[in-house]
Amino acid sequence: MLRLIIKKEIQSALRDTRIQFAGTFLILLMLVSVLVGRQGQKQIQKERAEAQATMYDKWVNQGAKHPHSAAHYGQFAFKPKPVLSFLDLGLDNYTGVSVFLEAHKQNEVLYSAAQEGNGMTRFGELTAALVLQVLLPLLIIFLTFNIFSREREEGTLKLIHGQGISMRKLLMGKVWGTYALVLLIFIPVICLAYFLLDQASAGFDPHVGVKFMGLLASYSLYLLIFVLLSVIISAFSKSSSFSLLSLLGLWIAACIILPKATTNLADKVYPTPSQYEFRKTIAEKVENGIDGHNPSDARLADLKKQVLDEYNVSKTEDLPVNWRGIAMQAGEEYTDQVYDHEFSKVENIFKKQNRVSEWAGFINPYLAIRNLSMAFSGTDFHHHVAFVKAAENYRRAFVKKMNKDMEVNDKPGTEDYRVDKEMWESIESFSYEAPDIGKIISVQWRSVTALVFWLVALFTLASIYAPKISRL
Amino acid sequence: MLEAKNLSKRYGDFVAVDDLNLQVNPGDIYCLLGANGAGKTTTINLFMNFIQPTSGQIKINSLDVTSQAQATKKHLAYIPENLNLYSNLTGLENLQFFAGLGGNLPDKVTGTQLLEAVGLQSDAINKRVAKYSKGMRQKVGIAIAKAKQADNLLLDEPTSGLDPQASNDFAQLLKEMRENNVAILMATHDLFRAKETGTHIGIMKEGVLIHSLKSDEIKLNELEQLYLETMKTENHVAIDH
Repeated sequence: MLRLIIKKEIQSALRDTRIQFAGTFLILLMLVSVLVGRQGQKQIQKERAEAQATMYDKWVNQGAKHPHSAAHYGQFAFKPKPVLSFLDLGLDNYTGVSVFLEAHKQNEVLYSAAQEGNGMTRFGELTAALVLQVLLPLLIIFLTFNIFSREREEGTLKLIHGQGISMRKLLMGKVWGTYALVLLIFIPVICLAYFLLDQASAGFDPHVGVKFMGLLASYSLYLLIFVLLSVIISAFSKSSSFSLLSLLGLWIAACIILPKATTNLADKVYPTPSQYEFRKTIAEKVENGIDGHNPSDARLADLKKQVLDEYNVSKTEDLPVNWRGIAMQAGEEYTDQVYDHEFSKVENIFKKQNRVSEWAGFINPYLAIRNLSMAFSGTDFHHHVAFVKAAENYRRAFVKKMNKDMEVNDKPGTEDYRVDKEMWESIESFSYEAPDIGKIISVQWRSVTALVFWLVALFTLASIYAPKISRL
Repeated sequence: MLEAKNLSKRYGDFVAVDDLNLQVNPGDIYCLLGANGAGKTTTINLFMNFIQPTSGQIKINSLDVTSQAQATKKHLAYIPENLNLYSNLTGLENLQFFAGLGGNLPDKVTGTQLLEAVGLQSDAINKRVAKYSKGMRQKVGIAIAKAKQADNLLLDEPTSGLDPQASNDFAQLLKEMRENNVAILMATHDLFRAKETGTHIGIMKEGVLIHSLKSDEIKLNELEQLYLETMKTENHVAIDH
């Protein structure tokens, strides 16, 4: 019986020229966005990989120089363009591309597309995610707003009821029938994306296959939620026009108003310091100590005393090691400590802001899918932080190596100490591996739970209230 | 068999059906006559369980419609006044869909035979219903009812808007069903068709069944006279033959 209703819903819709047109348009839109997106992602990734190789080549061929000069000469870390960013750009356009790594300071990730591009970047690019999250639900509204009310208005609902079928079965048949139609639109895009993935450099992100499956599962759930919600609203609406207005109102609230309101609320409740304030605090704490009572000159004096005592000498010139190397590394480590302290505070604020959006997924499933889509595509805040941390760890390691070399080899009395290519080559080029699926789910469990919650709640609602659907 | 015992339906102060007692036996065609708002369609809707009665009982093959709603549907076929089928499905696809929901999904051959048996032209069977006339749609409705093989049929003004030929064809189909011992309750405005097709005739006014008589006991002109007089006079107690 259910099969009959599903078949009829598909048959009816496929013969409707308006739906044929809208469906074909959306399929084409998504196919084009996937193709163009993939092409763009490949191009950008190629450019970044080339830039990373060029900068490393420059590092290796910088010529013989003092290790501390090399630490200031610095290196660059380029953020790899996530493979799945061709499906969802997420925050990728806003979070920067590369960071200059040098001694003494942690620089910002710069050159985001939003900074570099024109104003249109801020309006968002056409991606499969935009179509799946925002435009496909519009088609679902178009498919379902009169799925019950039209039957009621035209009297076919009476005839169906007269055949002895329960309203629960009818409702479920309409849900699955509409969902099958949505999948007809969704599947070609998935197939194309998978085909393009297959050709992609999977070695660059070994978890890309699992992440793609996560993305697929999330969108499948989201679209089913939207179908269920729309069919239920149509079932309990007295007229097609009321149903259409209600659904469009919900769509505007879910996809336009609530996301903005949630972001504003999160920003209001958990305000973030400006970049200037952040830098100023770090500089002050490096100068005066984390607690404000441990100035840098006092720290340096303590260290000096400790080192002189250790080597049982009275002045730094008598040390068997380079005092400046020790002092610089200690300075680095203290700055790192301050930076970690301040960065973790800001990171926590961002996490709290994101948490507002994640919990809001229980009110608005659009927010849940938006978070999950960005996470599985590798373009969310957590992926950006993972890159920033990887780049910072790389910076600390290579600066430490330079300082250590200086401490051990640039002994007092050494004239014009220099190291060469062998040393530069001993530091491998920066590489970054994106978080795996386990990490993504451990961060995004609220959004996953929100989607499951919506699905269970709507199925329960449909099951309980279906018998109350008016037949007249 | 269709039965209504002391059946009433009220909407606030408005009485749509008032203390209705009615029995339609297998092989009977009971035609309910009455002006608009007399309670004919409400009676059909009560039998279909589209609405709940305020008081009284409705039974279909001795099953209570209110408490055993789904079970009664197995014994019941229904054709509404405006049979709006799915316009972008063909007649055959509509038949297969509705009959399938009723538990008797006919294959293409059986479905085609059923539609031909109710007089639908062969070349129309696989055309979309959007191009059908009202008469053609009513024939599909009859085919759906026949496919269900139910022993009770409810019809809500099925011939309104049909041309005389289509109306006559429809009456013939009802007679065939009657011969198969189907109990038929039909709400209609058409006195001529009620006299010609029905075995029993009831006249309703303001929710009350004023007259209930066998059709072979009254001539058409007498029926017309009785109907007109009933519409003019105040309600009084029903005459039951």
